[in-house]
Amino acid sequence: MSRFVKIILAANLLVLAVLAFVYPHLMISPGKLIVGHKALETDCFACHAIWRGADSPRCVTCHKPADIGLLTTKGQAVIKPLSSTPFHQKLVSQDCVSCHSDHAGVRRFRQPGHFNHALLQAATRDQCESCHKSPADSLHRQITGNCTQCHSQDKWVPASFDHDQAFVLDRHHDTRCVTCHLRNDYSQYTCYGCHEHTPENIRREHVEEGIRNFTDCVECHRSADEHDIRGGKGKGRGKDDD
Amino acid sequence: MMNSLWREHVLPFTLLVGLLALAALGGDFILHRLGLVWVGRYLGIPGTLLIIGSLIYSLRKRKFISSGNLKTLLTLHEFTAWLGSLLVLLHAGIHFNAILPWLATLAMGVNVISGLVGKWLLQRARQHVQGQREHYQLRGLSKPEVEQAVFWDAVTFDAMTRWRKVHIPIFFVFAVLALGHIISIFLFWGWI
Repeated sequence: MSRFVKIILAANLLVLAVLAFVYPHLMISPGKLIVGHKALETDCFACHAIWRGADSPRCVTCHKPADIGLLTTKGQAVIKPLSSTPFHQKLVSQDCVSCHSDHAGVRRFRQPGHFNHALLQAATRDQCESCHKSPADSLHRQITGNCTQCHSQDKWVPASFDHDQAFVLDRHHDTRCVTCHLRNDYSQYTCYGCHEHTPENIRREHVEEGIRNFTDCVECHRSADEHDIRGGKGKGRGKDDD
Repeated sequence: MMNSLWREHVLPFTLLVGLLALAALGGDFILHRLGLVWVGRYLGIPGTLLIIGSLIYSLRKRKFISSGNLKTLLTLHEFTAWLGSLLVLLHAGIHFNAILPWLATLAMGVNVISGLVGKWLLQRARQHVQGQREHYQLRGLSKPEVEQAVFWDAVTFDAMTRWRKVHIPIFFVFAVLALGHIISIFLFWGWI
């Protein structure tokens, strides 16, 4: 390699090095910043710490956790909040980059809108309705709270509960949830919530058949068809007769 | 004459370079289809290590190290540099975000092509031109007639010889640009 070529190469590389310091947003940045961060595009260390990358303590110098969702970084009231309820105040830790990212080249491959509910404080975690609006369909209109009995906190759909596994809601059983689940408590049920079944007539009918253990109806009955008897009915009858 | 050199040597060489491009594009497509784009982000590390490993041949050739069979190291040089380049191309993807890493990728591409020209194509071309000369001499052609017959082959060969000389300078450019990219990643990426 001739001396001339070496000098040309060195000069070019030097120019590139200078350009990297003067125009880092063009030379080394993985894509544009969001509009709100545009003023920071030549000041990488406003957000990044050496080795640690985007650094939450640097985020909160502008984005005060107590104000997020309520006030802008300039102290003005948020007119159109992105969530119905401010929740950043109820996070277990201020790990901003676990949810947020910047630079177009990075955000392109981040899963959008995926919130890890484990980041919420325990007292807030199960209060789904403080952030989420209950669906307006006929089923959900009847339900207040206890969302986690059917839905996981990883994703809303699919709901993990299939009512048919416990009891098929056929014939007269296609009714309001509170008829069987008093006070919207889906961990319990009663079959005496309607006029058809009363403790007295149920007891009489079962005793006539020699069945004395009839407190948990769905152990044997899984639908409105009284002849569709599953579970331990056969065993139960023999045992009870004995 | 020019056609024969082109068909027998330049075209296969072009296909070999095309295979690298095709493998990079195909690999990138598969990563996107399988939702494994994040893998590409980390392929830069093994790619760089393979390219650094390929330098053992260069050090041995220039006697910075004394042990190792030169021919074996050359084969290793070709293989690791090609594979490392493929991984770096997958790492780069087709996303144009910053100038510095793309200049580094461009320099790497030129380096790979000049390296392939240098070893794979130049040697064959030299043999081809020499074979042609001998062939025409055996047929009784005079020296000026032989030179005229192999003119275009010789021109092609000469052009390739010049191209070969790009390999070392462009490697330094690639090394410095890649180093700049790596330093910026060390500075701004969250490693801990």
